[in-house]
Amino acid sequence: MDFELNDDAKDAIVKAKEFADKYFTEEVAEMADREERFPTDIVAVSKREKILDFSNPWKVLVTIEELVRRDPGLGISVTISAFGAEIFMFFGNDAQKEKYMNPVFAGQKTLGLGVTEAGGGSDVANIKTEAKLDGDSYILNGGKMFISNGQIADYFLVLARTSPPPSPEKKHRGLSVFVVDSQSAGFSINKLHGKLGVRATNTAELIFNNVRVPKESMVGEEGKGFYYIMTFFNISRIYVAAQGLGIAHGALDRLVEYSKKYGELSETGELKESIQLAIAEIATRVEATRNLTYKAASYLFKFTPNPIITSMSKYYAAETAVFSTRRAMELMSLHGLTSDLERFFRDAKILDIWEGTTEVEKLIITRMMLKEGGA
Amino acid sequence: MEEEYEILENTVKDFNTKYVDNNSLKLENEVMGKEFIKMLADQGFFSMMAEESDATGSDVKALSVVLENLAKSAPASAVKVLLANAFSTLAKERGILDAVGNGSKSGTVTFSDLLMAEGQNGNLKIDNGRVKGEKEFVLGSDSDFVLTLLNSGELVLLKSGFTVGKKHKRLGFRSVGFSSIIVDSSDYEVIAREGRKVLRKMYESFSIPIAAIALGMSEGVSQKALDYAKVRTAFGHYLKDFQPLAFDLTSLIAEMDILKRYFHDLLSSPINRKEAMFLKQKALGLAKDISKTSLQIHGGYGYLEDFGIEKFYRDSMALSVLFHSEENDMEELATMVFESKAGFV
Repeated sequence: MDFELNDDAKDAIVKAKEFADKYFTEEVAEMADREERFPTDIVAVSKREKILDFSNPWKVLVTIEELVRRDPGLGISVTISAFGAEIFMFFGNDAQKEKYMNPVFAGQKTLGLGVTEAGGGSDVANIKTEAKLDGDSYILNGGKMFISNGQIADYFLVLARTSPPPSPEKKHRGLSVFVVDSQSAGFSINKLHGKLGVRATNTAELIFNNVRVPKESMVGEEGKGFYYIMTFFNISRIYVAAQGLGIAHGALDRLVEYSKKYGELSETGELKESIQLAIAEIATRVEATRNLTYKAASYLFKFTPNPIITSMSKYYAAETAVFSTRRAMELMSLHGLTSDLERFFRDAKILDIWEGTTEVEKLIITRMMLKEGGA
Repeated sequence: MEEEYEILENTVKDFNTKYVDNNSLKLENEVMGKEFIKMLADQGFFSMMAEESDATGSDVKALSVVLENLAKSAPASAVKVLLANAFSTLAKERGILDAVGNGSKSGTVTFSDLLMAEGQNGNLKIDNGRVKGEKEFVLGSDSDFVLTLLNSGELVLLKSGFTVGKKHKRLGFRSVGFSSIIVDSSDYEVIAREGRKVLRKMYESFSIPIAAIALGMSEGVSQKALDYAKVRTAFGHYLKDFQPLAFDLTSLIAEMDILKRYFHDLLSSPINRKEAMFLKQKALGLAKDISKTSLQIHGGYGYLEDFGIEKFYRDSMALSVLFHSEENDMEELATMVFESKAGFV
C-alpha cells in the first residue's frame, strides 16, 4: 500500500496552485459570486493551458481538489466542462466519441448532463421526459432541472423515457440516453438565479418542446440509460468528493492562518485549547476524507470501481466540507464572516445535495453491503 | 405564556401576515424601505427599551416576544428591531431616542467591540476634540447614529461626521448595512467613561432577545420543512414517510420545543443571567442545525432563494457570529457553572 501520489499528480498540484495564484483573485471570485457570473475568460485560459489533463485521472482529481481549495465556485467552474463525458467513453460509439467526446476533452466544447427533473430529485427512475420514435428521429418532450453548464454547454446528454416501465417497481427500465445539441429547435433554457452558493457555476433549467434528434443520437443501447447514469455517478461522485476535500481543506487553511494571526493565547503562551482541538478535528477529518477519496479513486482508475467506497467518499467529503466551514466560521467569528470563508460556507452545502444526496449515498452503502455481505 | 405576551405575539403575527410574509425575501436581500421601517416603528417595535427597564426585565421580555415572531418570517427585520432597541438602552438624549423610536432616524451599537479582542475592529480616538479613525464590522452602519467604543474605553454616541467605509461581505441580514465606518466627528457625546462595562451589561441583557431571534428562525424554517415534507414525494412516498428525514426533523423540533418552554419560563420569572446565556448558547446552535436539516429536506430547491430556506441557513450562522462569541461566551458561562474562573486555558 502506497499513500504517495506519483510525480505526475504532484506536478498537477503545483500547476493548479500556480494557475489559482494567477487567476483566482479575491476580486474575481467575489464578482463571480456576487453577479452569479460564469468565469468564461478563466475557463478559456484553463483550457488553453490544459489545466485538466484528461489522459491521467489522478491529475484531474488532484487538480479539482487544489483549485476548489482556493475557491469553490471558480474551481468547480474550471473543472466541470466535460461533465458527463465518461458516458461517451464507456457507452458511446466511435462516431460519437469523435464528434462529441474528443472536442470536449480537447477543451473546444462544453458538455452538460440532463438527468434531474423538477419533480424527481434523487428519484432518477421516476423522470418524466419522454423520447418517442418518429421515423428516423426521436422527439423529446419534458424538462430538466438544476443542470450544471445549462446555459453554456454545446451538447447535453439527456436521460429520457423511451418505453413504459414493465411494472411500477421497475421504473428504471425503459430509459435511454441521448445527446442533444443546444442549438436544436424546440430546446430552450432558463438560467437559475439566487443560488445559496457555487454562484460562479452556471445552472439552468432545460426545456424540450418537440426537440427532434436523429436516431444516431442515442448513446449506447435503448433502455439501458438508467444503468449508464448510475455507472457515471459512480465515477463523478469521486470528483465531487474531491470538491468536498478541497472545500474542507480550504476552510482548514483559513482557520490555521487565523489562529496564527489572531488566535488568543492562554497563560501558558499556547493557543487556547478549544481552537487547538478544533483545528485537530478538522485536519483529521480532511485527512480521513482524502484517504477515502483516494481509495475510491484508486479502485476506479484501475477499472475496478467500488460503489460502496465511492458513496462513502462522497458522503463523508460533503459532510466534512459542511462541518469544517461551519466550525471555522464559528471560531473565526467576524474575521471569518467578512473573509472568503463566508463563500466557502455557502458553497459547501451543495455537496450534500448534488450527485446524490447524503441520504441516498448512505442507503447505497448499506444496501450494497448487505447484498455483498460486507464492505 | 402570560396574557400580555400572547397579545403581543398576536400583534406581530398579524403584522407578519399583512406586511412581511409576502415580502420576506425582499426584506432580507434589499434595503428595507422607509415605509416598512415606519410600519415597524408605528407598532412601537423600535422603542420597547426606551425607558429604564424595571427589575423584572419586562421590556426585554416583551421585546423578545416581538423578535421571536418577526424572525419566523423575516429575520433581518428582527435584527433591525434588535439594533434599535440596543441603541435605545444606551442613548440618553430624548430627541434622538424619539427619532429612533418613531423610525425617522436609526441607531446602532457596535457589538463587535465585545466580540473581538481589543484593537481587532479598528481604532477610534479623540484628537483635538474630534473623534477620528475607522471602526470595523459595524452592523447597521447605514444608521444615523452609532454607539461605539473608543480605544480609551469610553462609549461615545456619534451623531454625525461618519460615513460608510469598506463594505463587508454579507452572509446574512443583507438588508442591514454592514461595513466599517470612517469617522471624523466633532458631533459626539461621551455616554460612559467605562464604556466596555456598560456595553457588556447591555450585551448580557440582550441574551434572551438574541435567543428569541434564533428560536423564531428555528420555528419559521422548520415549519417550511414540515409543510414541504408533507407534499413532496420521492420514490413513491411523501418525504415525511422516510425515517431518516422524519426522525431528524422530529428530534430537532423536540429540542426546539424544550428550548421554547425554557424561553417561556424565563419570560415569567426574574431574569437569571446564567439561564439567559444558556438559552442563547443553545438556541443559536439549534437555529443552525435546524436550518441545515430543513435545507437538506428541500434538496436543490432549498438551495434557491425563491423557496425562502437558504436565507435561514445564512442568517442562522450570521446571527451566531454577529451577536455571539463562542469563546468569550463559553468562558463566561463556564465561570458561572464552576463558580470560579474556568475555561481559559
